[in-house]
Amino acid sequence: MYLVEAESGAAVSNEQKLESRRPVSARWEDFPYSRLSHHGGACCDVAREWVLAMDFAQLNGADLSSGPRWLRARYKWGPSAWPMHWCELVGRKVIDCGAHAALSREAFAARGLTAFPVQLVQRYSEGAVEEWRGSWNKEGVSCHWLDGEHIYHEATALLVGDGEVKIWDGSAGSWANPRQSGRGYGSVLALRLFADPESVTPAGFRWGDRQIAANVWNELV
Amino acid sequence: MNIYVSGLYSGGNPQPGIGIIRSLREGYPFIKLVGVEYSNRVSGIHWEELDDVQVHRPWDELNLEAHGDKVRDLLDEGNLWISGSDLEALWLASIFPDGHANLLAPPGGALKGIAKPAAEALAGLPLKVPPFVSTDLPDWDLHAFCRAHDWRLWLKGPYYDAARTPGWDSFVAVRNALSKVWSTERLFLQAHVSGYEESVMLAAYRGKLLGCVSMRKRDITPEGKTWAGDISEVEPEFEEPLRRIVRQLNWTGGGEIEMVRDASGQRWLLEMNPRFPAWVHGATIAGHNLPALLVQAAASINARKPRRQASEFTRVVIEVPVRDDYPLPALPEPFAGAIGHSMKHPSGLTALAERLHKAEVAPGTSPEQPPASPSCIPQVPETYLADIARHDLTEVQTPKFLYLDSTAESLFIKASERARRMSSSEVEVVSGYSIKTNPDERLIRLAREHGFLAEAISLLEVHKALQVGFRADQVILNGPGKWWPEGMMPRGRLHAVFCDSVADLNRCVDAMEKGEMASKHVGVRIRTPNVVSRFGIPLDSPGTFAKLVEAVQRLPSNSAFGVHFHMASSNIGVAQWWHLFESMLKWCRSIEKLAGRTIEILDMGGGWFPDDWHATDDSRFARAVETVKAMLPGVRQIVSEPGKAMAQPSMALAMRILEIQEHEHDYVEAVVDASIAELPMFAFQPHRILRHCPRTGALQPLGRGKSDLMGRLCMEHDIVAQKIALPDDARPGDVLIFCDVGGYDRSMSYVFGRG
Repeated sequence: MYLVEAESGAAVSNEQKLESRRPVSARWEDFPYSRLSHHGGACCDVAREWVLAMDFAQLNGADLSSGPRWLRARYKWGPSAWPMHWCELVGRKVIDCGAHAALSREAFAARGLTAFPVQLVQRYSEGAVEEWRGSWNKEGVSCHWLDGEHIYHEATALLVGDGEVKIWDGSAGSWANPRQSGRGYGSVLALRLFADPESVTPAGFRWGDRQIAANVWNELV
Repeated sequence: MNIYVSGLYSGGNPQPGIGIIRSLREGYPFIKLVGVEYSNRVSGIHWEELDDVQVHRPWDELNLEAHGDKVRDLLDEGNLWISGSDLEALWLASIFPDGHANLLAPPGGALKGIAKPAAEALAGLPLKVPPFVSTDLPDWDLHAFCRAHDWRLWLKGPYYDAARTPGWDSFVAVRNALSKVWSTERLFLQAHVSGYEESVMLAAYRGKLLGCVSMRKRDITPEGKTWAGDISEVEPEFEEPLRRIVRQLNWTGGGEIEMVRDASGQRWLLEMNPRFPAWVHGATIAGHNLPALLVQAAASINARKPRRQASEFTRVVIEVPVRDDYPLPALPEPFAGAIGHSMKHPSGLTALAERLHKAEVAPGTSPEQPPASPSCIPQVPETYLADIARHDLTEVQTPKFLYLDSTAESLFIKASERARRMSSSEVEVVSGYSIKTNPDERLIRLAREHGFLAEAISLLEVHKALQVGFRADQVILNGPGKWWPEGMMPRGRLHAVFCDSVADLNRCVDAMEKGEMASKHVGVRIRTPNVVSRFGIPLDSPGTFAKLVEAVQRLPSNSAFGVHFHMASSNIGVAQWWHLFESMLKWCRSIEKLAGRTIEILDMGGGWFPDDWHATDDSRFARAVETVKAMLPGVRQIVSEPGKAMAQPSMALAMRILEIQEHEHDYVEAVVDASIAELPMFAFQPHRILRHCPRTGALQPLGRGKSDLMGRLCMEHDIVAQKIALPDDARPGDVLIFCDVGGYDRSMSYVFGRG
């Protein structure tokens, strides 16, 4: 996500903040999902080709729908400044959830699979959020993704059947558990999946036992 | 009425007894629960919810008949017995073949139906069984199974124990260890399925399914055992066939179907256990108290309704007081010179396995049975036998490599014909003979006669190829030491040179500019990014990849560009090799695009096991050629380098028995006049062994047995074959022939111990 967009999206009044009935996703209603930038030159071409060829190599013959866990093994999760270009990303040791999600999405697509950007709101604890705020501030990176005990997060939805998706959390290197959504530390409270409105049915997508409408925030509590 | 519960072991790989006790206590707060064990070392006997404990002598001491009578008396008196041990359940089934109303364990017929690894009775469930073979097969076939499944395998014992065997040496070592522990040669080798493990637990009484529940592992121990899990209902498409199977098997007791779900969602059967799983109380926490349901059905006493506390469970380690009447036993003395106390299986389950084998109760081979069944004897191709028979085996000076001329020629003809079939006007397919696999002139000559190119890794090898009649423009030079020794670079133009590093590429460009070397194609060898290799230019970071692209751009434009990659398919497995091939084509496409150089020659190998290369029909190779055409349309020539597939079958090694040493329990050590100096690959691949019968002249393939063949060297590891069946009439002076030695056995053999 671009910092400017993030900051403007985070501009929520105190009154709104106090409103107890507002959806947990309200703060991030107008947030765009993260996209990697390309310099239009060889630097980004080499970086992108390397990521995609390496992703296929790392499959070792496993099913194409396997999660690209090697990306998490190579890039730790942490603060990242945006915008981010391909050539910058590959040289980093730490990238945030938006970059992880964007890489995973590209990897799945290069394997010939259908993947969608996903935004999540997760619950942690105020203590955890304060820890993260400290880390992000130390790096001089926007904390727009933190709010009380809630966080904004990005992931990748992989189409695995007729209208059925699995959600790959690239920052964690694991699939999100649909059974756990809705409550508890680390649980998913809200989810927005971006898909071409022309190609999705009104029913949207199935994630575990849940029905997810496309392009809108789905509150899971 | 008392309820007796066995299987109280509570170590890192726990039995279910304590979980059953906890669940029963919840369902029946006032019923008497008696723990049964066969060792006072099992910590579960100290669990505070047990009203009483019966500790019997370990299984290796126990009088099985008397113990069986005691169990019968208890059951006849109206007590219930829930077995928490697979082997105890098997033994109980032998005592009560048709069951007993109060024995809450499956009858013998049901156990047969779920016997590992096929578990044929479960065929109606929506599951697949991972491919498996019995270790009854000849080593040659077991090696083929390992290659076919990319060496991602588990070697499993008949009841417990499984170990990964990523190579032939580890397979042999684990097979020896498991055979010894479980007193049987009948183990099985099963393909690994990657995915997430889950289980279905069930309780049934006299063929009626009382309940079932599903569990997904959410945390595991280093041994892969459940540490945390989530519980859910079993889907109807699983439960309905399960209900039918339980009825057909007349199942009584607990049970667990262990599975793994792969990335596509397909479930694969690991095994079915004839007892509740160790996580049984995790389900009770989630409101599914299956042990209580079982007791309710058997005793007609209503259990308390389970209290659902959570849908997920996890484990913690806790300390409990030791019972006064069972003080802790002494810790055994560590074996002198060893590390640790060797505490596995404290109740002597392995001894029970041996006793059940002897009583022919359990599947497996009893120690008294001859271990080499006819299926253990390898198939040796007729051409081998005919070629070997042409040598005078009575007079042969041993040890001696025997050249199998018609076998060798037939292989070159096959490869040449395949290359011709694969070729088209767009892309020529040609074979390359790797000189290092066996530099015997007879083989190099066959390669030349059948249209192969010569692949050399040094200038000495180039020189050898030229001596045998290859032209320089039929020679490919690659490898990290290709400039050695200096001063031998041929004057003629080579067919191709592949650079092994950026420094090598710079040197190559320099030599070409100075006119010191000429080649029609110049290219790079790229290092496999996901399989460890020391060769080629690495791709492991965007930075190294960028350097490779820059280097390719510096290659002279008057030579065509090419890419070489090589990885031994026998080491990584056939399927993984083909994945690597596809992966390499993707890298090639990226290199072409970024460097702006069209790839015109693709050299790919190698290290193919002969059976994989020659037995496979053309379709896989044809598909590969089509993939190359689609992904790299500029390629004009594909050099296919089968490596040892050409050389390995071409020679055999004759040796004589020097001495036969007979030991206890039919074990024989035969000393031969060959050694690991002639068989350096002895630990990495099996060899098919023939014995030349001095009386009839027949060549007899040897199966598995109880004899080891000791090499002539005074070296501890000079054991050239283990566990083979040497015929009873074998004598010193008899000739043995090891087949399949024409590859690296021959080329890497060395002079040792000859003065």
